[in-house]
Amino acid sequence: MYNKKYIKGKVLIRIGLFLLCSGMLNACTRDVPPGKKVFYYNETSGISSLDPAYAKSQSIMWAIHQLYNTLLEVDSNLVIHPSLAKSWEINEDHTIYTFHLRTDVYFNDDAVFPGGKGRKLVAKDIVFSFQRIIDPKTASSGAWIFNDRIAKNGFIALNDSTFQLKLIRPFQPILGILSMQYCSIVAPESVLKYGADFRSHPCGTGPFRLQYWQEGQVMIFEKNDHYWEKDSLGKRLPYLDAVKISFFDNKATEFLEFRQGRLSFMNDIDPSFKDEILTRNGELREQWRGRIILQKHPYLNTEYFGILVDTTNPLVKNSPLKIKAVRQAINYAINKPQLMMYLRNSIGYPAERGMVPYGLPSGNAEHVKGYTYNPDKARALLKSAGIDFKNVPEIKLLTISTYADIASFAAHAIEQIGLKVQVEVIQKSLLLQQTAQQQALFFRASWIADYPDAENYMAQYYSKNPSPPNYTRYRNPLFDALYEKALIETNDSIRYTLYRQMDQMVIDDAPVVPIFYDEVIHLVQPNITGFYPTSMNMLELRTVDIKLEEK
Amino acid sequence: MARLIFSKFLYGFAVLAGVAILVFFLFQGFGDPARLVLGQSGNAETLKNIRKDLALDQPKWKQFILYMNDLSPISIYSKEEIKEKNIHGLFLGNDTKIGLKFPYLRRSYQSKKSVSEILMDALPATLMLAFAAMFIATIFGIALGVLAAVKKGTWMDTTAIFTSVLGISVPSFFMGIVLAFLFGFLLQSYTHLHMTGSLYDYIPFAGRHLQLQNLVLPAITLGIRPMAIIAQLTRSSMLDVLHQNYIRTAYAKGLSKKRIIWNHVLRNALNPVMTAITGWFAELLAGAFFVEYIFGWNGVGKVTVDALEKLDFPVVMGSVLLTATFFVLVNMLADIMYGILNPRVRVH
Repeated sequence: MYNKKYIKGKVLIRIGLFLLCSGMLNACTRDVPPGKKVFYYNETSGISSLDPAYAKSQSIMWAIHQLYNTLLEVDSNLVIHPSLAKSWEINEDHTIYTFHLRTDVYFNDDAVFPGGKGRKLVAKDIVFSFQRIIDPKTASSGAWIFNDRIAKNGFIALNDSTFQLKLIRPFQPILGILSMQYCSIVAPESVLKYGADFRSHPCGTGPFRLQYWQEGQVMIFEKNDHYWEKDSLGKRLPYLDAVKISFFDNKATEFLEFRQGRLSFMNDIDPSFKDEILTRNGELREQWRGRIILQKHPYLNTEYFGILVDTTNPLVKNSPLKIKAVRQAINYAINKPQLMMYLRNSIGYPAERGMVPYGLPSGNAEHVKGYTYNPDKARALLKSAGIDFKNVPEIKLLTISTYADIASFAAHAIEQIGLKVQVEVIQKSLLLQQTAQQQALFFRASWIADYPDAENYMAQYYSKNPSPPNYTRYRNPLFDALYEKALIETNDSIRYTLYRQMDQMVIDDAPVVPIFYDEVIHLVQPNITGFYPTSMNMLELRTVDIKLEEK
Repeated sequence: MARLIFSKFLYGFAVLAGVAILVFFLFQGFGDPARLVLGQSGNAETLKNIRKDLALDQPKWKQFILYMNDLSPISIYSKEEIKEKNIHGLFLGNDTKIGLKFPYLRRSYQSKKSVSEILMDALPATLMLAFAAMFIATIFGIALGVLAAVKKGTWMDTTAIFTSVLGISVPSFFMGIVLAFLFGFLLQSYTHLHMTGSLYDYIPFAGRHLQLQNLVLPAITLGIRPMAIIAQLTRSSMLDVLHQNYIRTAYAKGLSKKRIIWNHVLRNALNPVMTAITGWFAELLAGAFFVEYIFGWNGVGKVTVDALEKLDFPVVMGSVLLTATFFVLVNMLADIMYGILNPRVRVH
C-alpha cells in the first residue's frame, strides 16, 4: 500500500514539475509575431503622465511626442517647420499670429468619439488645448509658457481651419514655444470625460496611440494606421508597428538589456560603464565596432556651477564669492578640456565660451569670449581681490551624486589656486529646494533649452525673474535693459546681437562657472535605420525602420 | 468577547491615527514638493497654481486638518468636494455634508493618479511575493529543521544549523544583491533568470503573460530569514518531542522510523512553528521594501521608495498606512484568537 502511495506521489510531483517548467518555457518563447516591427527603449526616470499639460521632463516629452502633434515643429537644425499648421502669418507689430491648419488630420480612434472613430481636428481643439495649459485648475507645470505673454482671450478659432493667437507685446520666441510638448493638441472629448485620469487615457493626432500601460513596468504604443504624415515617396508614416517602453530604473541594467539585444537604443551613458564602451577621445572601443552604432549630436544643454550673487543674502555677505575677481578666478582655475577627457570620455565640449551652447542661430558659443584654463591669472586675480589665504572661509560646493566626480575635480582645481572648497553631495529634491530658496551659495546645475532660442538661456539672469529660473539672483540694470529691448525686438539679427552682448555681460560678471556643453549620445542597434539624434534630444520615431532578420 | 474586539478595534484605530500624524509631521522637514512638480522653468504664477492644486498654499495646521478629514472615516465635505474627489460613502446634509466613507488617500503629486489605485495596482505583487517567500521558507525551513533534528550531531545537523545562522545574520538587501548578481548575471545562461523584472510582461501583439521565473530570486531573498528561523524552531521543537515518552512507546510498538517522524513527531512539533509563520507574514509584507527595490519588483515597497525620492507625500502616506493596517489587523486577529483560545487573556 505504501509503495502505491509513494509511486502516486512521485507521478504527481513529476506532473507538477513538468507543468511548472513548461509554463516557464512558454513564458520565454512567446514572441512578437513575425513581420511586426517593434522599437524597444527603456526609461530609467519613469513616465508619470501622458497628459501634455505635465510634459515637464524629457521622459514625459518623449512619450507625448509619439502620441500628439503640435502646430509647429523644430527640425534637427533647429529650424521651425509646419506640422498641424501648414502655414502662418504674423501681423506688422508682431502681436497677432494667424495659423492655417491642415484639414486632413484626424484624432486617433478612441472610445470617446461616436462609433470609436477619430474625428477631424479643428481650430477649436487648439483653443481648448492651449486654454487648458493656462487654466489655474489644470495646475499645469507649463503655464509659464503663456503667462504674461498671451493677451486676454488671446486664443481664437476664426473658423475650423484658422487659429489665431494674440500676444500682449511682441515675443519672438513664441513660435519655438508652440513647438514644445506642452502645446500638444489634445482631444477635448477625452479630457472632459476622464478629467484627472486623462493622464492614462491620452488621445491625440500623433503617429502612435497608447495600447497598454502597466505603470512602472511597461508601456506599449501601437501605430496609428490613419496617421496624416507621409514620407517623400508618399508612404504613410510611421514605419514601426509598435513601441515598447520598459522602466528599469538602473542605467546598468538598461545597458545589460541593450547588450542582450532587448533594447533598440539607449540614450546617454552611465559613468559606471562608459569606459567599457568609449575611449578617452569619445570613440567606440575596438570590441564594439560593428556591433553597435554610436550617434553623437550637440545638445542644447549647458552644465555649470551657479554662484549666488545677491549681496543682501547673509550667505553671500560672509563669503569670498561676493567678489567678482574671486568668481572669475574660479572660472580660470578649472581645466575644462582635461575634465572632459577624463570624466566624460570627451562627450560634450568644454564650456570656454558663454552660457548659450553650440547650435543656436544666435551663435553665442562662436562669439562670446569665456575663460580658458589659466591658474596663474587665477592666482593673480585672487591677490588683487585681497584674499587672505590663511583665513579664507571654506566654500561648500553642493551637488547631486551623479555629478560628484565633476564637482570633486573642480574643487581640487580651485584648491590649487588657494581657496578652500568642500564638496557636499545632497539629494536632488533638497538641492532643487535650496537653489530655489537661495540657500545654496555654490551649486551644480544645468540648463536644457525649453525652446530653441537664446532668450530661454538669458531669462535666467533677468533680475525680475524669480528663482527659478534666476537661480543666481543675478542683478544688472544694464543686462535687464538689453533683455527687455531684445524681447520686443522683431529683427532677428539685431536680437541675436543683443543676446551675445548679454551673454558676454553674464560671463564677465561670473555668477556662473560654465563646465561643458553637453552632447546627445545614442547607442543604437545596427538593424535600426532612420533614427537620428537632435539638438533638443527629442525621440523621433516617425521615420525609424527596422531591418527584420530573414529566417 | 465583543468588548475585547471593540477595545482592540479602538486600539488599532488609535495606532493608525498616530502613524498618520507622525508621517505628516515628519514630512514637513523635507523639501518643497511643488518645486519638484515644476520642471526646470517656471514662473511665480505656475508655482502658485501647483501649490493651490496640491493644497500646499494653506497654513500647515489647516493642511493637517484637511488631510485628516480626508483620511478619517467620519468626515465633513462640501457637495462640490464630494463630486470632485469622487468620494463614495453615506452623507447627510445639504451643501455641507457629514458622513461615513472609505478613507480618501488623495492623488499622487507627481502623476495625479489616485493613491488608492496606485496601491491596489501594487498590492497583488507584494502579496504574491510575500506568499511565495513564506512558502519557500516553510517548506525548506521545516525540511532543514527535521533533517537537523533527526541527524542530530552529524555533519548534516551542523551544516543545517550553520546555514540557518548565516541566513539570520545576512541582511536581505545584501543577500538580494549577491543573489541577483550570481544567478541573474554571472550564471544567467544556465538559470535564465533576470536580475530585475516583474510578475507580468507584455509583448506587443501577443498580450500579457505571466513571468513566474522573475519571482524566484526575490522570493528566495525574502524567504531566507524566516526559513532560517523556522529551521531552528523546528529543530528544537522536534528534539523536544523526540524525547517524549509516547515516541518511545511508538518505537516499542514497532512502527517504522519514517512513520514516527512524519506522523507523530513532526505533527506535534509544528505547533510553535505555525505561530511563528503567521507572525512572520505581516513582517514580510512590510519587509519587502528593499527586496522589491533591488529586484525592480513592482510592489508597494518599490512604489513607496520611488515616491519618497520625489517627495510624493500622498503616496508615501498611503503606503505607510496600508502597511500599518496590515500590522494592526494581524496583531488584532492574533489577540482575538488568543482570547478565544485562552480565557485568561480576555479583558474584564
